[in-house]
Amino acid sequence: MKISLNWIKDYVEVKIPPGSLADKLTMAGLEVENVSLVRGDTIFEVEVTPNRPDCLNMIGIAREISAVLNKELALPRTGKLSKADAICDIKIEDKKGCLRYIGTVVENISIQQAPKELLKRINSLGLREINNIVDITNFCLLETGQPLHAFDYDKLAGGRIIVRRAKDGEKIVTIDDIERALDPSILVIADAEKPVAIAGIMGGKETEVTASTRNILLESAYFDPIIVRKASRKLGLSSDSSYRFERGVDYPTVENCSNRALSLILKEAGGKIVKSSDIKVTGRNKAAKEIVIEKEKIDSFLGTDTSVTQCKNIFDKLGFDVKVDKQKVFTIVPPSFRGDIVQEVDIIEEVARIIGYDNLPLSMPSIKVSNISESKEIQLRKKIKQILMAQGCSETVTYTMISQKNLNDSKLSDIEKLNIVNPLSQDQEMMRPSLLPSMLSRVQFNLNRGQKDISLFEAGKIYTNKGEKETLAVIMTGVALRDWRKLKQNNVDFIDIKGIVGKVFSGTGIQDSAVSYKISELPFFAGENAQIFLRGKKIGAVGRICQEVLDAWDIKGASVVFAEVDLESFYSGSFSKKKYFPVIEYPIVTRDISLAIKKDILFDEIRNIVFNDNNDIMHNFNLIEEYLGENLPGKEYKGLVCSCKYQSKTGTLKEEEVTKVHERICQSLIDKIGAIRR
Amino acid sequence: MAWDFQTIRNQAQKEADSICDNTSLESFRIKYLGKKGLIPQVYASLSTASKEDKPLLGKNANELKNFISGLIEEKKLSVKDTINQSSKSNIDVTLPGVANDLGHSHLLTQTMDEICGLFEKLGFIVQEGPEIETEFNNFDALNIPSNHPSRDGFDTFYVDQVDPGDKDKKLLLRSQTSPVQIRVMKANKPPLAVVVPGKVYRPDAVDASHSFMFHQIEGLLVDQDIKFSHLKGLLTTFCNRFFGDNIKMRFRPHFFPFTEPSAEIDISWEKGKKDWLEIMGCGMVHPQVFKAVGYPKGKYTGLAFGLGVERIAMLRYGIRDIRLFYENDKRFLEQF
Repeated sequence: MKISLNWIKDYVEVKIPPGSLADKLTMAGLEVENVSLVRGDTIFEVEVTPNRPDCLNMIGIAREISAVLNKELALPRTGKLSKADAICDIKIEDKKGCLRYIGTVVENISIQQAPKELLKRINSLGLREINNIVDITNFCLLETGQPLHAFDYDKLAGGRIIVRRAKDGEKIVTIDDIERALDPSILVIADAEKPVAIAGIMGGKETEVTASTRNILLESAYFDPIIVRKASRKLGLSSDSSYRFERGVDYPTVENCSNRALSLILKEAGGKIVKSSDIKVTGRNKAAKEIVIEKEKIDSFLGTDTSVTQCKNIFDKLGFDVKVDKQKVFTIVPPSFRGDIVQEVDIIEEVARIIGYDNLPLSMPSIKVSNISESKEIQLRKKIKQILMAQGCSETVTYTMISQKNLNDSKLSDIEKLNIVNPLSQDQEMMRPSLLPSMLSRVQFNLNRGQKDISLFEAGKIYTNKGEKETLAVIMTGVALRDWRKLKQNNVDFIDIKGIVGKVFSGTGIQDSAVSYKISELPFFAGENAQIFLRGKKIGAVGRICQEVLDAWDIKGASVVFAEVDLESFYSGSFSKKKYFPVIEYPIVTRDISLAIKKDILFDEIRNIVFNDNNDIMHNFNLIEEYLGENLPGKEYKGLVCSCKYQSKTGTLKEEEVTKVHERICQSLIDKIGAIRR
Repeated sequence: MAWDFQTIRNQAQKEADSICDNTSLESFRIKYLGKKGLIPQVYASLSTASKEDKPLLGKNANELKNFISGLIEEKKLSVKDTINQSSKSNIDVTLPGVANDLGHSHLLTQTMDEICGLFEKLGFIVQEGPEIETEFNNFDALNIPSNHPSRDGFDTFYVDQVDPGDKDKKLLLRSQTSPVQIRVMKANKPPLAVVVPGKVYRPDAVDASHSFMFHQIEGLLVDQDIKFSHLKGLLTTFCNRFFGDNIKMRFRPHFFPFTEPSAEIDISWEKGKKDWLEIMGCGMVHPQVFKAVGYPKGKYTGLAFGLGVERIAMLRYGIRDIRLFYENDKRFLEQF
């Protein structure tokens, strides 16, 4: 909101430079966002917080300044008004929408230019000149914060005012020449026939005060903030009036401002008050409650040492009704325009604000140990991120909202999802039920920007109507490790990403034997893919993204591998307990086996046979090489070279011991899966 | 048998001088010190020597042995040097090394970890909460009036799911991390000191400084005698540790429904410059909030603060466009 320093000086003495005043206002809670010099005046742009509608006018700001500078506030005097002889025909039909309506008919006014001084005031705040009546209502709005409206009385059908909801199908052309469709959610001022103003927002064109107007009806009212706000949003129409009604006007000011405007009208436009009515909806204007607070309480809360005089002076300047007794207890009744002051802390804040937060002391709290502890999830998540970063993957943070198209493109159209009721756009119509679309979109983004080798991960949430679930996704394309010593750089494939996911398990203390992989048929994967099981429970999947999905995402000429792991199952299935096993010093004996086996035999089957042999010296079994090609018994065969490491816990192994076990294992492989030794 | 010790020495020295690798060094060692080497032979001859000759022979034998051993030790070192020298000439040491690329933690994660870490050092504990929240936790309990504009669809996202605790209401995406305060207070009695990082959502159209999804960190300290001066002390300490000791800062009165008194903290980086940058909101926990979580009236006071992670990171690293955080351009990610 704009304020004019010259205008403010009508009510309070300001002797400090504008820059200092701006600082002081800012530090009292009225943030001055801009100061500019305009035709000999200083204009402040002030941000008024929503709890302070009383500051949306010059008097309100002047009151704050009087407290901050400790100067007296001089309010404008309203001359005595003559009583009207007759009442005005006003009816409040909607008692929720309008708590008070004062209508006054002034006859025989002369429309002319408003006085220079008044025009200078309203111009300084950006309002343009219209005619003396409208300019006076605008002046009073800016001065007191109470919006007023003047109707051309002769154009009000039946000379009536009815405050009611609009009927379906009703329309009004507002003073900005735009026709607006109304509905029953909108409060209007109507005459005997039709709406003549949108209550609290804007008047109608037909009944506006023009050069030919002779008689006017001046409206000063209290309209419900929520109804005004909703209508304003619905119509896409806001005004100086609606801005103030939405935040709440001051009930007594409805009358004071009406009187202020009428006295100005009589002075500047002549005429005579002939009819007047003040319609109040009873029981809606609550008297302010007394607040009792000890000075000691203020000081202990702020850590200050104030004096009774200092506090009382602050309360006086802010317009509070305050009594103080010998025990230094204040009894305070806040003014009607300070609806934000209801309890002790509100009083404390006023003292803090006016003294200035920067002038209050500071100290360190002693923070006690509580029984709250950091969750295992947070610690594990950190560990997982470290592991993935060590594997060369960078962390992403992606939007959690996606579109149905994103799901379709990822072959996830049937997945359960959680829609947003009021999405910003179709691109963000739902909360993501999978991390796959987010990750594919980031791969596509980077590929389009010339990045070829991409390894990304995110530990983020997925959402369904059952709630949200923390999930880990890893996506890779291109070459993971570029080595200039090698002629051919290998593109990442299933084995690479499986290896990385495996590190997440082994790095968080999960034994290899607890994790298993089974071939799956997830639609977005090509042939190479598996579901991941942790102790028999399915917790994720890993594989190569199929061409159809890549095409849908416009990812060209790249092979993309992806893994997703449900972190919540992971957290509950991982053990943090670690135990020491003695390191065995006896030498390890390594024997390699070279086998030809049928291609449909899984490596896991070989492993199982190896580890199921009844011996206590098998230490480790590793795949060294897989061979496909010449010199095999047939096309249905593949060659495998594995290394067996043997170690005894009790002594150095003898050749014969190792040979016995090793040969037995080889024989089992031959017997059970038809392996051929090479 | 008589030994010509001087000749042996000269011979050994000559042989040693020509040693250039480990193999020749080893054969030299075997020749003299090996089981059937010269030195053992010398010692063996001691047994047949006459009584008068023995002392001198023994002395000479010992001296020869020491001499040979010395030569071997000396040669060991020079052979090592030679090997090193020869490899130096074989490799271009300026060739690039080969290693896995290092992955990078997202700048938002780094910023959150750093901020939470600072508070953790002061005794705060990190807590988290759900993003899908109830209207009660996100608004009612935080003293936000039932008709407040922030509740409507222009300012808060609602999801298509009924609040199990209130069938007339839909669940929403939290518009602030403050509902976690409510969860923590409902589940725990003071004293408590928690810091809460997380995602929040507001239906703002995306541009260089707005995003419908962003991150906040929320802090809460509740005990029996928390004062406004503690708020100033704690957050001054934080700002100095995070932004540096040479910043200027001010507490400017502001309004939040869930704190009273409330303040915003502004900082200024450059000396003498009057550009204040708003960095966080804070205040003393509003009594209505304590009431909402069922704490006895007047028993506790507390302080709370909240900051936008993106904003802090943008200020600190000179990032002009908030969208960069969510684009995840590799060239952005790898800078941090």
